[in-house]
Amino acid sequence: MNVAPDSYVTLSAVLFCIGVVGVIARRNPLIMLMSIELLFNAANLALVTYARLWLNNAGHIFAFLVITVAAAEAAIALAIVAVAFRSLPHVDADDAALLKG
Amino acid sequence: MLAFIWLVPLFGAVLLWTLGPQLRSWAGPIGSALIGASFLATCALWNGATAPGGVHEGLGSWLPGWSFGLQLDRLSLVWSLIITGVGFLIHVYSIGYMDGDRAFARFFAYMNFFVFAMLTLVLSDNVIGLLVGWGLVGLASYFLIGFWFERPTAVAAARKAFVMNVIGDVGMMFAIFVIVAKVGAIGYAAVFAGVGRALGPHDVFLICVGLFIGCAAKSAQVPLQTWLPDAMEGPTPVSALIHAATMVTAGVYLIARFAPLWSASADAREMAGVIGGVTAIAGAILGCVQWDIKRILAYSTMSQIGYMIMGVGVGAYAGGVFHFLTHAFFKAQLFLGAGIVIHALADEQDVRRMGGLRTRMPFAFAAMLVGVLAICGVPGFSGFFSKDAVIYGTLSAGHPLLYIVGVVTAGVTAYYMFRLLFVTFFGSYRGDIDAAGAHAEGEEPHHHAPAGLMNVPVAILMVPTVLIGWLDAGGENSPWQRFFRGFPGFEAVPSTTAPAISELASTLIVLIVVAVGFGIAYARYGSGPALAGAVARLRTEAERAPRVLVHAYYADALYDAVFVRPARALGTWFDRVVDPHVIDAGVREVAISAQWLGHLFRSFQTGLVRAYALSLVFGVACFVAYYALVFGVSR
Repeated sequence: MNVAPDSYVTLSAVLFCIGVVGVIARRNPLIMLMSIELLFNAANLALVTYARLWLNNAGHIFAFLVITVAAAEAAIALAIVAVAFRSLPHVDADDAALLKG
Repeated sequence: MLAFIWLVPLFGAVLLWTLGPQLRSWAGPIGSALIGASFLATCALWNGATAPGGVHEGLGSWLPGWSFGLQLDRLSLVWSLIITGVGFLIHVYSIGYMDGDRAFARFFAYMNFFVFAMLTLVLSDNVIGLLVGWGLVGLASYFLIGFWFERPTAVAAARKAFVMNVIGDVGMMFAIFVIVAKVGAIGYAAVFAGVGRALGPHDVFLICVGLFIGCAAKSAQVPLQTWLPDAMEGPTPVSALIHAATMVTAGVYLIARFAPLWSASADAREMAGVIGGVTAIAGAILGCVQWDIKRILAYSTMSQIGYMIMGVGVGAYAGGVFHFLTHAFFKAQLFLGAGIVIHALADEQDVRRMGGLRTRMPFAFAAMLVGVLAICGVPGFSGFFSKDAVIYGTLSAGHPLLYIVGVVTAGVTAYYMFRLLFVTFFGSYRGDIDAAGAHAEGEEPHHHAPAGLMNVPVAILMVPTVLIGWLDAGGENSPWQRFFRGFPGFEAVPSTTAPAISELASTLIVLIVVAVGFGIAYARYGSGPALAGAVARLRTEAERAPRVLVHAYYADALYDAVFVRPARALGTWFDRVVDPHVIDAGVREVAISAQWLGHLFRSFQTGLVRAYALSLVFGVACFVAYYALVFGVSR
């Protein structure tokens, strides 16, 4: 089966948009984190697609880097969210606005 | 050896300054002994210094052509001997005079520092070293005038002297700039060799003017004379050493040192001669209305230096330097004698409150009498020879007007010096009479017993005060004339006209004028009728004295109006307008702008993570849109 590269890129764009909307529109930190993961994966898909298309392994390498960073981010972000759960009455990202100028 | 002469006083200054509190009363003897050692070392170099070329010692080089060194030739030898010799005597005198002062060690530290500075000035073999010494003696003078810094008048006088001296330093700096720019070297020999080659007549004149500004400031010549009388706020030994014998005569040294330049510029000589003459007569006239014993002597110093400047200015270098030599002795003598009186009367300086001291202090009277006879030029005493040399020098240089000024000044000098002597030592003691004319009852002011140590230097000084003049006896072949024969630049400037009268006739004229001055002084202050009603008469005379003289020609008021007040007004204007409305306002505006920017940017800091994410996305969208528009979407 040979799928046109356009389809992969389109899928990647769609996933990215879903992720962006998720980060911006949702207030639950867990959902926001999931949306961020979606952004990472959209980017990964695009990287891998172009790597295959142009026969350049840099895209693969970057994809691995992104996966590593995403893992680290997930670990830290989940820890932060867990702490926030304990100290805040509601689980709402907009309530954590202590740094308002 | 030269470096030894030069550095021993510096060593003394540092030692006394750092260890003063530990040394206590030893500070005086140690400081005196070090200056004495310097004097003996100078004497030991006599043969070397009088040999052709003198003694020279290199100190090191900074740039090629800029080597620094010390040199002792005949001219600097005369000065060094006076600085260390008279300096030593005055140090010894100070042990007695300053006894009991809280800052005994500090005084000797300053005095040693002064000797070091003055030796730097006269021993330097280049113009930069000269300027350094020039500045350092100004600093030492500042220290010593303001020695009793708890007195506001002393501090003001010190500041005034320093500012006036700095005016001179700047003038000298400009002269040195011209020298460096035109000659490219700083050694005296190189500079003198440049006369007529690298230095045209115009350059020479410029250099002489610059040097003369320095000379006028340091030597209290008109119009920079006002600091010297105020400088009498310092302790009396300081007045004797710095403001009579050595520092104030540095201007004479300067002109004599640069004699080859002055000889090459008739205009510069004219300027120096005229200003010296004006100062001589102006200072002498002011001496006639003063009542403070030290101020009288200060004005007489100013007047005598006027003579010296007049002498070296018209080209009578040997005469001018000789007057420096004799003046150093008799003026130091007069000041130290006055110091004995002041010390004995518990710091009383007003001669109206003295009187009759001839019997109470016979030694001080003898000292002052010898000094007065010398300064007035009574035949046989030192001033007779040196003053005559200067006065006749003006005539042989073709300046009849300056000659008349010199003669008249000699008469005025005799008047005010004998006035000082009569009022102080004759009649009856007036110190215990109060303003109403009655004898005051109650406590006697604390009078010091005359210190034996103070009398010794004065007694020693009496010998040269009387005898030193004989060095110049015998006209062209006198020891003094032979001493300076062939000294670079000292050759007499050929006169266009022969003197109208012979030297003998000139001497007689001067003596007659001096006798007239003495006669008036005797009639007004010394004779029986004058002494009888002295108290009331002196008071009314003080009231009737011409205001213009009492205020020293209003020079202080003039400088106050022309320089001090405008400067202060400018300062006030800057304080009221520029500082708050320009400088402060500028700083304030910067702060306000920063605050405003902060207000602007804080509205972006919502604290909402989602808002940040949105702005991020927006930014990315902008980037994408930009690249899409610029590069187009490739297909």
